[in-house]
Amino acid sequence: MKKNLERVRNIGISAHIDSGKTTLTERILFYTQRIHAIHEVRGKDGVGAKMDSMELEKERGITIQSAATYCSWKNHEINIIDTPGHVDFTIEVERALRVLDGAVLILCSVGGVQSQSITVNRQMGRYKVPRIAFINKCDRTGANPERVTQQLRDKLGLNAVSLQLPIGLEGNLKGIVDLVTMKALYFEGENGEIIREDEIPAELVDEANTKREELLDAASMFSDDLMEAALEGTPTPEMISDAVRKGTTSLELTPVFVGSAYKNKGVQPLLDAVNSYLPTPSDINNIALDLDNNEQEVSLKSDYNEPLVCLAFKLEDGRYGQLTYIRVYQGTMKKGDTLVNNRTGKKVKVGRLVRMHADEMEEIEESGAGDIVALFGVDCASGDTFTASEINYSMSSMHVPASVISLAIIPADNKAQVNMSKALNRFTKEDPTFRTFVDEETNETIISGMGELHLEVYIERMKREYNADVEIGPPQVAYRETITQQADFNYTHKKQSGGAGQFGRVAGYMEPLEEGDYEFVDKIVGGVIPREYIPSCDKGFKKSLAKGALAGFVVTGVRVVINDGSSHSVDSSDIAFRQAAVGAFKEGFSKAKPVLMEPIMKVAVEGPSEFQGGVMGSLNQRRGIIIGTFEEGEYTVVEAEVPLSEMFGYSTVLRSLTQGKAEFTMEFSSYKHVPKNVAEELIKEAQQKKQKN
Amino acid sequence: MNRDDMIKNSPLRLLNPDMNGGGVQQRMGLLMARAGVGKTAVLVQIALDSLLRGNKVLHVTIGQSFAKTKIWYEDIFKDLVNSFQLENAYEVFNEIMPQRMIMTFNVSSFSRPKLEERLNDLIYQNIFRPNCLVIDGFDFEILGRQALVDLRELMETMDLHMWFSAVSHRKDNRVSEAGVPAPCHEIDDLFDTIILLKPESEEKSIALDIIKDTTGSTAPGKLLSLDPSTLMIKKA
Repeated sequence: MKKNLERVRNIGISAHIDSGKTTLTERILFYTQRIHAIHEVRGKDGVGAKMDSMELEKERGITIQSAATYCSWKNHEINIIDTPGHVDFTIEVERALRVLDGAVLILCSVGGVQSQSITVNRQMGRYKVPRIAFINKCDRTGANPERVTQQLRDKLGLNAVSLQLPIGLEGNLKGIVDLVTMKALYFEGENGEIIREDEIPAELVDEANTKREELLDAASMFSDDLMEAALEGTPTPEMISDAVRKGTTSLELTPVFVGSAYKNKGVQPLLDAVNSYLPTPSDINNIALDLDNNEQEVSLKSDYNEPLVCLAFKLEDGRYGQLTYIRVYQGTMKKGDTLVNNRTGKKVKVGRLVRMHADEMEEIEESGAGDIVALFGVDCASGDTFTASEINYSMSSMHVPASVISLAIIPADNKAQVNMSKALNRFTKEDPTFRTFVDEETNETIISGMGELHLEVYIERMKREYNADVEIGPPQVAYRETITQQADFNYTHKKQSGGAGQFGRVAGYMEPLEEGDYEFVDKIVGGVIPREYIPSCDKGFKKSLAKGALAGFVVTGVRVVINDGSSHSVDSSDIAFRQAAVGAFKEGFSKAKPVLMEPIMKVAVEGPSEFQGGVMGSLNQRRGIIIGTFEEGEYTVVEAEVPLSEMFGYSTVLRSLTQGKAEFTMEFSSYKHVPKNVAEELIKEAQQKKQKN
Repeated sequence: MNRDDMIKNSPLRLLNPDMNGGGVQQRMGLLMARAGVGKTAVLVQIALDSLLRGNKVLHVTIGQSFAKTKIWYEDIFKDLVNSFQLENAYEVFNEIMPQRMIMTFNVSSFSRPKLEERLNDLIYQNIFRPNCLVIDGFDFEILGRQALVDLRELMETMDLHMWFSAVSHRKDNRVSEAGVPAPCHEIDDLFDTIILLKPESEEKSIALDIIKDTTGSTAPGKLLSLDPSTLMIKKA
């Protein structure tokens, strides 16, 4: 199975919620004959669109997990990763983006570029994913693809260029004009499967000519041949396509297509565009880190004969057992091969190898560079790199944000307890931003993640997929404690109560650490603390980090330096020095002006301009710092940084404030000091809680 | 260098002498140049200087994107940090940024009542009360004299330090008596300070030619210039 990589496309379909990703994917699968009937996302027939394989997604009409699916179009193999559109699930989006070579950014022709599209676009930029845009829902009332194209330029800073023109809009959407070939395309037959090519309608000829000029201007920046031909008035469709392709793959041009997936218009030309303009796996320079060579960056080659390198980017617990989605970057993977998981160093054998089609699959014997496939029965976490045994590469680590919100979950009964731990085990492997632990004091299981909705979805999944009935506590913000100045400590731990005593003295200082959570520096000279007890000190300090002295939150950003101490030949021990370190930390911490830190969210509220005063007021009341406002047609976006603790229930407030016309997104920005009055409250609360216990 | 030294040593002291303990001087200033010479860079440096001196700055941008304006501040701040070797740059940046607010408008939808409405929203709700207002991209060809008279009144009632930028065109030869080119040649009396940005011979530097000042805080002439590669203000 040596295939032509020129004919492989790994693409993502990424967009704002409700802009019609799932419907579009469904149509693509229909036209590429992977499915034989069309269902709707919120289908009346109860079957639901193919890509939304989870029940919950079907119910809510949204896509939560990205399922990979495979199809072929005009001799090209296309792997599609359907990605979620909600910001709370960004790790899903980001992980999917990591394995893509290109993407289709879907926009709603009415809603246009909304704040979530901005986030998704930024993520695509971070992973350098070339993209083409599809303005969907041109059949809707208020459709204005021209405005959306302008927004792509203004809001997303993309060099957006129309390659098509709609014939009619809203209820009158009849077809599209292809500005490359200058032909009109109509979609006929029951499901738009028959494409009829015709002359451009007379009333659109002028507009089409103007738009084509714009296209030629933009595209000729990428091809001298085209520039010459355009001047002479003889550009061929091939020349234009080549230039647009160059611009797109170099991320300097974003071709824009139009249509309506729901009305079966414009989908096949979009597939043609995927083949023509999005990059092949070998167009992309993928970088791995050589673990044997000080994490030096190495470029991977999309070559079947090189040693294998692949990345597990998604785990799923399906009805057939654990499924691991894999992107192969280099080399070939065959059934029966032995691979090494570079994180754990463990060897795994390739058992069943399948190509996924949403929730059905096809067994295959081998797969090679550029492929997206799935493995059965491989124990790993998502983000793990597998390689052939002769190399030790790791795909560069993915950006994993810190969790900002947590809540306690209490299983209703014993059965729920067992199911809950199964579910948690699975979720934490699937999603690195979802974490869980047991609070030692309250003995409660705590889950933490990126936002309220993020946790809600997992709780729902626990109930539905794992039948684990749980009660949930109120959400808690993940506060932290840190120090703001240097402070010395000198603590002696002494205990004599008959029998062997305990003795250890630890001295040094602690200071704020700008990057990272904790650093331990040993500057002991002359063995005043014996070598074997240095790790004991480190352990004692680490233990102290778990609960700060201010209000019991995790302590971060501390460098501890020890430079003096003393020991006793009989009474000194591991435990004695650990205790001494705990005491020393307490002493130093209280002198180092400790403060509380809280997660600050970047919030963007988008709504009609007349409400912006009220919106700003509401953010201001929530201790928000307004960074600025900008306009988008009739809409104004207010961008602010607001403490997460103040954002609970904001959606309700915003709804009543703006008659439901505004929406907001938020994502984690940074940890910042809690203002004094708020900190005092928190400390008081913590003390009361302590007394109660 | 620390923050105070940086303020003291800023070339902008030639334009805005430091009032004791920061503070601003009521002033309506105008910065004119042809397109692409560096008006925004100068405005952002004036704004950052004001922020460093503890003021609140409202940056109104007409026609440029919000994200771009933010990047201007980040880039210019980085350059300032490098040229002054500022200590605790990160902390200083975090301290001054909450004091800055950006408001962007589309060219087509900008109007004086709209700006006033926005400002009122901010002030009456006590969200943000600027001491310094910079307006980049104000279209003097469309918004007439009355708009500026009103803004001047706003400056007086709110005790603002205010700066505008304006684009002059190569083809338009109209000039006021004081040497202010179109489109501001008929409204130059409304400004306290007017600076022209002029590329000097062989484009080795860009002069900030102060052609008018009635505040008494600076002297007319080419006291300052702009490095054409970094767009940083320096003493001429």
